[in-house]
Amino acid sequence: MKNSVLKKFISIAAAVSAILALTACGSQGTESDSQKAETQKEELTAGADTVYRTLDEIKEDGTIRIGVFSDKNPFGYVDENGEYQGYDVYFANKIGEDLGVKVDFVSTEAANRIEYLQTGKVDIILANFTVTEERAEEVDFALPYMNVALGVVSPDDKVVESLDDWNSDDQIIVISGTTAETYLTENYPDIPLQKYDSYATAKNALENRNGVAWANDNTEVIAYALQNKGYTVGIPELGSKDTIAPAVSKGNETLLQWINDEIKALADEQFFHADYDATLVDTYGEEYKEELVVEGGVTE
Amino acid sequence: MAGPLLQDVPGQDIACGQALLTMEHVTKRFEESLILDDISLTIQKGEVIVLVGSSGCGKSTMLRCINALEPIQGGIIRLGEEQIDPKSRGLTSIRQKIGMVFQSYELFPHMTVLDNILLAPMKVQKRKKADITEEAVILLERVGLKEKAGCFPRQLSGGQKQRVAIVRALCMHPELMLFDEVTAALDPEMVREVLDVILALAAQGRTMLIVTHEMQFARAVADRVLFLDKGKIIENAPPEEFFENPKTERAKQFLNTFSFETVKGKDKQGK
Amino acid sequence: MPDLGLEVLLKGQNMERLLIGLLAALKISLVSVAVSLPLGILLGTLMTWKNPFIKAVLRVYLEIIRIMPQMVLLFLVFFGTTRAFGWDLSGESASVIVFSLWGTAEMSDLVRGALISIPLHQYESGEALGLSKVQIYRYIVVPQTLRRLIPLSINLITRMIKTTSLVLMIGVVEILKVAQQIIEANRTASPNAAFGIYLVVFLLYFFACWPISVAARYLEKRWR
Repeated sequence: MKNSVLKKFISIAAAVSAILALTACGSQGTESDSQKAETQKEELTAGADTVYRTLDEIKEDGTIRIGVFSDKNPFGYVDENGEYQGYDVYFANKIGEDLGVKVDFVSTEAANRIEYLQTGKVDIILANFTVTEERAEEVDFALPYMNVALGVVSPDDKVVESLDDWNSDDQIIVISGTTAETYLTENYPDIPLQKYDSYATAKNALENRNGVAWANDNTEVIAYALQNKGYTVGIPELGSKDTIAPAVSKGNETLLQWINDEIKALADEQFFHADYDATLVDTYGEEYKEELVVEGGVTE
Repeated sequence: MAGPLLQDVPGQDIACGQALLTMEHVTKRFEESLILDDISLTIQKGEVIVLVGSSGCGKSTMLRCINALEPIQGGIIRLGEEQIDPKSRGLTSIRQKIGMVFQSYELFPHMTVLDNILLAPMKVQKRKKADITEEAVILLERVGLKEKAGCFPRQLSGGQKQRVAIVRALCMHPELMLFDEVTAALDPEMVREVLDVILALAAQGRTMLIVTHEMQFARAVADRVLFLDKGKIIENAPPEEFFENPKTERAKQFLNTFSFETVKGKDKQGK
Repeated sequence: MPDLGLEVLLKGQNMERLLIGLLAALKISLVSVAVSLPLGILLGTLMTWKNPFIKAVLRVYLEIIRIMPQMVLLFLVFFGTTRAFGWDLSGESASVIVFSLWGTAEMSDLVRGALISIPLHQYESGEALGLSKVQIYRYIVVPQTLRRLIPLSINLITRMIKTTSLVLMIGVVEILKVAQQIIEANRTASPNAAFGIYLVVFLLYFFACWPISVAARYLEKRWR
């Protein structure tokens, strides 16, 4: 969803270069101009195919560059001593350890994760990256290591447990541009939505009872219910269950294979359960461990 | 205030009866229109020439051509033996010999009065700062502005700025002074103080070419009056003759526009 | 006194990290300023020339840089050069390039504006006094242009410092990113920390830009 911003950037760039090409060669028919813009776009993406580093190259270099979030507690964040921490980072450090290389963390944003892989500026993205078909065309996902779904939180005195037979006077709070908004618009067009721009305003809206419930990623609503007394996650999993997985540049077979083998091998020591205990248990408690953790890349 | 004050200006070497500036068949075009049409003129050393004419007749352009601020399309302008041409190499040395004061008092706003005066003598003529300062202070005193030496132009009135501009030009020891409607942008009560300075210069024997709309001043200061119409000099006569008996219809019409004002002035003076 | 969550800054090396973040922002902006000022003066002077070709080229450059959001420029230079030429620029280098391109464009326009605002009479007065072209620029035009430029370029410099917050989009961790990291890391322990931290960030930006404005005011006063 945020990725569309990036796409916009690139298309603006293509448009600008098309304009430049136009002014440089004098004007031609509009048809050939748009064709020119098209080919330029293709050239831009075509150049991305060989930018990645293979497993051997990474080992030889002695450093692996892993893109993580630096401000998404508890998945990827930086602690008060400037050290990267979180569920994703815990795994990233394990990768470095088992590969025998140093890990160089790169601070990424939701909007530039794909771009980092396509330009080979990082070797792996481990930034709470939800697997979608659209993204799988641009990058290669390894086996998943976490589940994610939508969740709905509501006040204890009137817990929303189902979205069927909806009373059309009741509104659901969502944050604009999130998966929750898209999902509800597509699957429950009759439910009126109340849209907010940020986490903080949505939170206020729920507390002021502007809506009967708040739909968001289930990790978010679970954490919210745990931290705020008087709220319950009535629907912990809504719609299709998505997974979170490491991603590498498209075509980087050797690295992808190694990560997949690693994830499978780590099942023996129940690595991701240990990861959960170390990083997520404070936020989500024991209760949601089996729901969130994916071990050995195997989902039910 | 000024009166006969400006007498012992250094560098002035007055010998009348010798041609200082000559213009031969000068034409000046601006795009399609002819601004100066075959002008020929000789100014003798020590002569004061006043150039009059209705606005747009080419007076200012003529001064600008003499100082090579505008290129000419035909003819020759000479100062003494040297030809004046915007492209010629000796231009800066010729320009040092011609002092010019503009209608819009163009002092340099970021410099004090004294620095305005010192800049060109120091940088162009490479003279000693102490010498020029001494001279500048004397000249400033004579135009009544000695205490303004450290001021910035924005702190001065229009008349004061014009007097500084005149001093700035004089400090270059020019052989010829050009005045381009120097009082036109001034408030009436400041006109007099500037004209007095020019009168004093005339009394001292300076060679000057003056463009002005102050007819009484013209009459008082001029050795000869030139009347310019549509780019041609159509009258060239001593002031008495020009003002009493203009030869051309154009000059009569032109002077009539002033005599109307003069009548009003006489009423007031006649009290 | 409301809880500003300022205790968060005392945890570990948080305050030090903020300062390092500020230095990162200042480094990028000041290097870019050092490149932009001379280049901008050069290009701005060229823009006042009568050569239509140079004029057109510079105009196109200026408009392109102006139209494009700095974020797009950052993406183009950081990722685009890798795609197009295979360069692996660091985030810092890409930022310096973008901010220099932008600063040069803005500066050249300021210089052009300041130069054409010097009236023609100033040049002519100088010529009439016999000053050479070089002397007219050296003693009359340049000093007046500089005086006009000072407030404008200070505005540009402070804008450049503040706009460095965008470089977090290409992985450069500067003060604002550090602030977000600290706030997020303490989301549960100190939910109010955002206020306190942004206040401190504001103060740090202020103390970084303040000496520049003071110096400018001093120069303006001295040169008036």
